[in-house]
Amino acid sequence: MAQLTARFRTENRRFAVEDVPFSVPATSETADLSQLINKLLAAAHEDHKYVEFDFLINGQFLRLPLVTHMEMENISTEEVVEIEYVEKYMAPQPEECIFHDDWISSVQATEEWILTGCYDQTARIWSVEGKSIMTIAGHTEVVKDVAWVKQDSLSCLLLSASMDQTVLLWEWNVEKNKVKALHCCRGHAGSVESVAVDCTRTKVSDFWKETFVFLPTDEEDEMEEATPLATLSGHTEAISSVLWLDAEEICSASWDHTIKLWDAETGDLKSTLTGNKVFNSVSYSPLCRRLASGSTDRHIRLWDPRSKDGSLVLLSLTSHTGWVTSVKWSPTHEHQLISGSLDNIVKLWDTRSCKAPLYDLAAHEDKVLCVDWTEAGLLLSGGADNKLYCYRYPATASDVGA
Amino acid sequence: MEQPSLSSDTQELSESEESVYSGLEDSGSDSESSGSAEEEEEEEEDEDEEEDEEESSGSPSAPQTQARGFPGQRRSLQDDSPLDEYEQDSSDEEDIRNTVGNIPMEWYQDFPHVGYDLDGRRIYKPLRSRDELDLFLEKMENPEYWRTVQDRQTGADVRLSEEQLELVQRLQRGQFGDVNFDPYEPSVDFFSHEVRIHPVTNRPADKRSFIPSLVEKEKVSKLVHAIKMGWIQPRKPKENVPTFYDLWAQEDPNSILGRHKMHVPAPKIPLPGHEESYNPPPEFLLSPEEKLAWEQQDPSERRLGFIPQKFRSLRAVPAYSRFIHERFERCLDLYLCPRQRKMRVNVDPEDLIPKLPRPRDLQPFPTTQALIYRGHSSLVRTLSVSPSGQWFASGSDDGSVRLWEVSSGRCLRSLTLGAVVRSVAWNPNPSICLLAVALEEQVLLVNPGLGDRLLVAATDQLLDSWEAPEEERVQPVRWIPASPEERAKGIRLLVQHDKPVTQVTWHAKGDYWASVVRNPGGRQVLIHQSSRRWSQDPFRKSPGMIQCVQFHPLRPYFLVASQRSVRIYNLLRQELTKKLQSNCQWISSMAVHPGGDNVICGSYDSKLAWFDLDLSTRPYRLLRHHRRALRSVAFHRRYPLFASGSDDGTVIVCHGMVYSDLLQNPLLVPLKVLKGHAPALDLGVLDVAFHPHQPWLFSSGADGTVRLYT
Repeated sequence: MAQLTARFRTENRRFAVEDVPFSVPATSETADLSQLINKLLAAAHEDHKYVEFDFLINGQFLRLPLVTHMEMENISTEEVVEIEYVEKYMAPQPEECIFHDDWISSVQATEEWILTGCYDQTARIWSVEGKSIMTIAGHTEVVKDVAWVKQDSLSCLLLSASMDQTVLLWEWNVEKNKVKALHCCRGHAGSVESVAVDCTRTKVSDFWKETFVFLPTDEEDEMEEATPLATLSGHTEAISSVLWLDAEEICSASWDHTIKLWDAETGDLKSTLTGNKVFNSVSYSPLCRRLASGSTDRHIRLWDPRSKDGSLVLLSLTSHTGWVTSVKWSPTHEHQLISGSLDNIVKLWDTRSCKAPLYDLAAHEDKVLCVDWTEAGLLLSGGADNKLYCYRYPATASDVGA
Repeated sequence: MEQPSLSSDTQELSESEESVYSGLEDSGSDSESSGSAEEEEEEEEDEDEEEDEEESSGSPSAPQTQARGFPGQRRSLQDDSPLDEYEQDSSDEEDIRNTVGNIPMEWYQDFPHVGYDLDGRRIYKPLRSRDELDLFLEKMENPEYWRTVQDRQTGADVRLSEEQLELVQRLQRGQFGDVNFDPYEPSVDFFSHEVRIHPVTNRPADKRSFIPSLVEKEKVSKLVHAIKMGWIQPRKPKENVPTFYDLWAQEDPNSILGRHKMHVPAPKIPLPGHEESYNPPPEFLLSPEEKLAWEQQDPSERRLGFIPQKFRSLRAVPAYSRFIHERFERCLDLYLCPRQRKMRVNVDPEDLIPKLPRPRDLQPFPTTQALIYRGHSSLVRTLSVSPSGQWFASGSDDGSVRLWEVSSGRCLRSLTLGAVVRSVAWNPNPSICLLAVALEEQVLLVNPGLGDRLLVAATDQLLDSWEAPEEERVQPVRWIPASPEERAKGIRLLVQHDKPVTQVTWHAKGDYWASVVRNPGGRQVLIHQSSRRWSQDPFRKSPGMIQCVQFHPLRPYFLVASQRSVRIYNLLRQELTKKLQSNCQWISSMAVHPGGDNVICGSYDSKLAWFDLDLSTRPYRLLRHHRRALRSVAFHRRYPLFASGSDDGTVIVCHGMVYSDLLQNPLLVPLKVLKGHAPALDLGVLDVAFHPHQPWLFSSGADGTVRLYT
């Protein structure tokens, strides 16, 4: 078969072409199709500049020659095939490489600052330009997770969880550049592996084996011990990751092969998603309402947290060769997520192409331990090579529509 | 008397008084009157006789006639009188004088009478006043005593007459009672094959015998119609053809005894060449020297069995001189040909392999290398995983013990001890945070300070709460509290042995631990209690060179592996419970199944022996998967997995399912060969350990790394 008839369409008005079937070579790949569209556009508009396109057939990215892809997806080659094209996502541009003294266990960034937790028992605040602003030392053990609680121009509240079984709430005065420990949350009988702040920025949860929900009080004059609001116990083994789905729901992923959803108000278990491997990390996207989990069997799996029967994997993304240590959904794009793995590679995924990632970010020289994605399009990854890499991921025009 | 048919006996009898009345036929001659008069006399006299008659009167004719024979006097008279005859024949009961019936006469023993007559009057017993003496005298004196019997119904004595005696004697001889009855009379055959003039019966012939039957007619007409229509074939005449039977029709040609199977093909004979030709080319002819050599050769050594000869034409070829000889040899060959065929057993090698489930069905088990823990600069001899599964400790030849975080591969602590670390063992009790390290001649109890702070503090408290006993006991080791510098490193106690310690292992409860000392011939195993700081030597004499020891996970047993065997001691009763013979040259390591009934042993001759303690003291299975010496074996605590690490740098994970059903033997399936460790110094994998909760496997190698397989 030499030729296929295809009809092209796009959401983006700017690149729209005539809605007529075209005959394209069956073996043509993305580059060939992209060239074809560009020629059509150049014929239509005088001032057209060359744009790389990516092509979707039935919601799947085209990565192979057209006919091979259609054979694999069981699409009839007899009929007119509808191909959607979008502007190709630009590769993330490396921006900064921030050097730490020790392994970076966690990272969370906002528009202006990057907060990292480090194995040298400190948490650090950096500006997005890579300038070290503050080093917060207070823990007696490795800092395992960090989180921003509140930000305004004068002072910020932030949290750090550590293996010394405490979570510290810090207030950082931006202008004076001073930090003050506000609260020390105790209660864990093991190292605190993860900490999460809910959307309204008032409650915090964290855990090792049990999940505690703390409510930090507003008294600021002295360092006070916060007591847990609720203890969510039900996991039989270590909990590796915890997050808030919304104001009422907490999600926790554990080494006992389950992801559990809890009611934050009552502390009841709402549902359980059962996998068959240890979960290292979990992330939730409010845009597509999916959970993404990274586990020790090198797959990233997508779950629907609302499904009742609890063990349905919607999709698994497979390309890593080691444990997936952290996953993070894009806050702006419903199809994209980022994952870090023990095979030293950070991968940028689009759920529409589950066989191959969009981009591999192979900058780390050792295990990748944490990744983050800010709303401003900054990709961050930290690892055992003591480096925090920042990438600028330009939001393309089509992202806005998506 | 008138009748000529009477026998001589009757004639003789007739001379006596009674003989007149004896026969049946001799009735008519006597007068009525005299007979009737005499009859009455008789009746009065012999009542007992009548009783006899009455009894016999019911029986069929022949005996009856007999019975009537001798009391016939009266009878015959009655016969004569027509009235009496009717009286006699009318009923059996009429003659009965006594009306009691057929009852045991003993019932009347105590009464003076023996019954009642027809009128209801009592019949009195005859007066009997004789005693024993009278009886005896009578017996002696009365010549008639032998023929006197007592009639039980009347109690009177009766003297049997001559005829009665004869009747008794005839019956005793088994003859018919009637003298006149001839049992050997010729029989008249009325219904014979011969046609008689007169019919046997006078019955007139049936009508049907001369009127044709309608039913038959109908049947015949039906048959005739069927023959006409061709439905019935008239019977064919039998052909006189001899029948034959195929004897071998039932024989299975494929059976072993089948004739074709027994066919032995003749050996193939090489085709004749130029030498056999009647006119061979000259180079094939033998020269005289060759001919001489041929003749001198032994017939079995000759290359050719004949001498090639040249004839000028085929006509000139003479008759074959060895014809008879060759025929004879051929017959001899046939005769000596082995009749027994050797059946080659065709076995598919696939069938010999036992059917095992596919490894894919036995998930989960470690398959790929996930993490490498780097940091040691020399070979890592030993490792131990914490009971929480969050950390593990490794001891190396570079003199350090490192504590690692499992999930990230981060080395959290490093204790530099300055000597080769032979063995580390994490306390299996989750509420105690303690690590035992075997270092040269010392065993250090180290608090790693990981995990819950409360537990860490509680452990320190537990160790410090010891108070010295009042009287010093003699101990095989010295317990030394750590100095402040050592305490800062985490070391809490030092247990000084007198010889290098090769292994430490904890009891499951976490208080007792055992150490193995390299001290051939002397004290080799010590059991210590850390809370009381007390050590003891469990054995009076050393059982050979001890390789390793283990506490039983459930029962108070103690397993001691010496070079070739494993001994199981009961610590409570202090006796040897079992001795396992491992069929290996030199045991290197041992692990006990968490269920407690199975033990695996690795040996330096690259064998792994699985013992089922319920089954036998011999290995249940001997696995030879490794190519070089095994250094370490381990069981998983929750999954049915066990692993062995070897000098060839590989770890082999096997499925070892133990069933609670005693009848079902353990199922052992090799699952996966895990490679990764680079062999160094001729050593490969030195220690293996499973994660306590996950199906993960740690292995430490001579290349200074610890690897995690998931």
